[in-house]
Amino acid sequence: MLGRMEGPYDVMVVGGGPAGLAAAIGARDAGARRVLVIDREAEAGGILLQCIHSGFGLHYFKQELTGPEYAERFVVEAIDHEIDILPNSYVSGIGLDSDGAKRVRILSEHYGLRTLTCRSVVLAMGCRERTRGAIRIPGTRPSGVLTAGLAQKFTNMMGYLPGKKVAILGSGDIGLIMARRLVLEGCEVVGVFELMPYSNGLTRNVVQCLDDFGIPMHLSTTVTEIMGRDRLSGIKVAPVGPGFKPDMSRERTVDCDTLLLSIGLIPENEMSAGLGIQLDVTTRGPIVSSTLETSLPGVFACGNVLHVHDLVDFVTGEALRAGRHAGEYALGIRRAQDNIRLVPGDNVRYCLPHSLSTGHEHQIFMRCKEPMKPCEIIIGDIMRKRLSFVVPAEMIMFRIKPDALDQFQGDTLRIDIRPLQK
Amino acid sequence: MVKKMSDHKSFTCIGCPIGCPLQLTHEGLEVLEIEGHQCNRGAKYAQQEFRDPRRFMSTTVAIDGARHKRLPVKVTAPVPKDRVVAAAVEIHRIRVTAPVRLGDVLLTDLLGEKGVDVVATKTMERV
Repeated sequence: MLGRMEGPYDVMVVGGGPAGLAAAIGARDAGARRVLVIDREAEAGGILLQCIHSGFGLHYFKQELTGPEYAERFVVEAIDHEIDILPNSYVSGIGLDSDGAKRVRILSEHYGLRTLTCRSVVLAMGCRERTRGAIRIPGTRPSGVLTAGLAQKFTNMMGYLPGKKVAILGSGDIGLIMARRLVLEGCEVVGVFELMPYSNGLTRNVVQCLDDFGIPMHLSTTVTEIMGRDRLSGIKVAPVGPGFKPDMSRERTVDCDTLLLSIGLIPENEMSAGLGIQLDVTTRGPIVSSTLETSLPGVFACGNVLHVHDLVDFVTGEALRAGRHAGEYALGIRRAQDNIRLVPGDNVRYCLPHSLSTGHEHQIFMRCKEPMKPCEIIIGDIMRKRLSFVVPAEMIMFRIKPDALDQFQGDTLRIDIRPLQK
Repeated sequence: MVKKMSDHKSFTCIGCPIGCPLQLTHEGLEVLEIEGHQCNRGAKYAQQEFRDPRRFMSTTVAIDGARHKRLPVKVTAPVPKDRVVAAAVEIHRIRVTAPVRLGDVLLTDLLGEKGVDVVATKTMERV
């Protein structure tokens, strides 16, 4: 698995999850000769290794795979592509040489502290979960309060259960999947509580993870207090009124020994910020050009470190592109700078990439702010696209064909989502 | 007046992220009409859900001698919906020793269901 670990590399990829592995493959496909993937875990695969349920690969492989199966296919493909993978290692910094080369400082269990040089870097560090501190739930600080993804790792990889009687705050897909998972492991799941008036997870997950097992979902409801001295002894919940303010007159106690939090993900960009890379305040990921290049030339970003995706298939597609551009960059191929800014308008929370250039095809990723149906996506005056519905939990993806931008004269393209009359 | 004999059942399709609301009209065991689906999978799902609801499932089993303590597994064919929890209990009796290869069959005919096998979904080396 280990490569020769001698510089210089053409492309180095930070993170060996689905994004990092696909980026490395993309870089090789573009002609980069030496590609290294650095991962902090003992084996590559990232968060897929703990996502043992199926539902991955429908778009990319045209069949439904479990997370570990999807990961293993990419690890095998990376090895077939003669990509070096360095596990148990951590990138602690990236420096820039005057000639544009990057010096990547790696802290490795096997090699100690090393600095390797390369021509381009792909950031693929993924994201992490929001914790109790992010939403400041009042109460005591007992054990038994943990994020859904951590509970997933405990249950599916390490072999111990987080508790016996479980409540879940937040209806994100990881929370829903964990509800079913814990029932199969013999736990009692007392309910899922969601602040918003709609589920943040996919409908199919609400049906097959909650409804199938008779687990109730309480919408417009939040946790108002955490109780217990050493171990969680229960929580208080209350319905929320206007402005998400809990209605304390209707507060009630829910008996449980574990509270899982599935309240959102944050791209892991401490290193990016340290490098001076410009970040988007909404996605909390880097600002990127149409080649997925960050504000630091030769440094690219893809996957959940760029923006949080809901399907790994889309991560793979995006990462293959980022890797291809990083590979081309390493070989000295440069594309003219983007000439059109892409900005979010009505009911658009964010859209990516942040800029486009004429003469190329573009893949746009975006999310809405509020559910709307039926509706129309309006891309400046160059394109319109009708959709039967949009919801914040589902990313919207579409292509802009190269000729669509030919007639465009301005320097800023705005995307709006507007309701359609039925 | 003739008494209307047909009955309705509602399902939400789990075939894809759209999640179509399905309405199935039946008379006894005979399906008369299915509405609400945007593609064929929805119609098939409603039929199956009405006659014999089944689910694919995945869980983990104990593994010795590997990097982690649990090996992820799945069933190769769906099990009856009301036997999913029983199936999990049965699968959890399995204990294996590394190395295991992705696709290795660990148990055949789960709960006596013909063709429902339990297979490993990850290669785990001996460490």
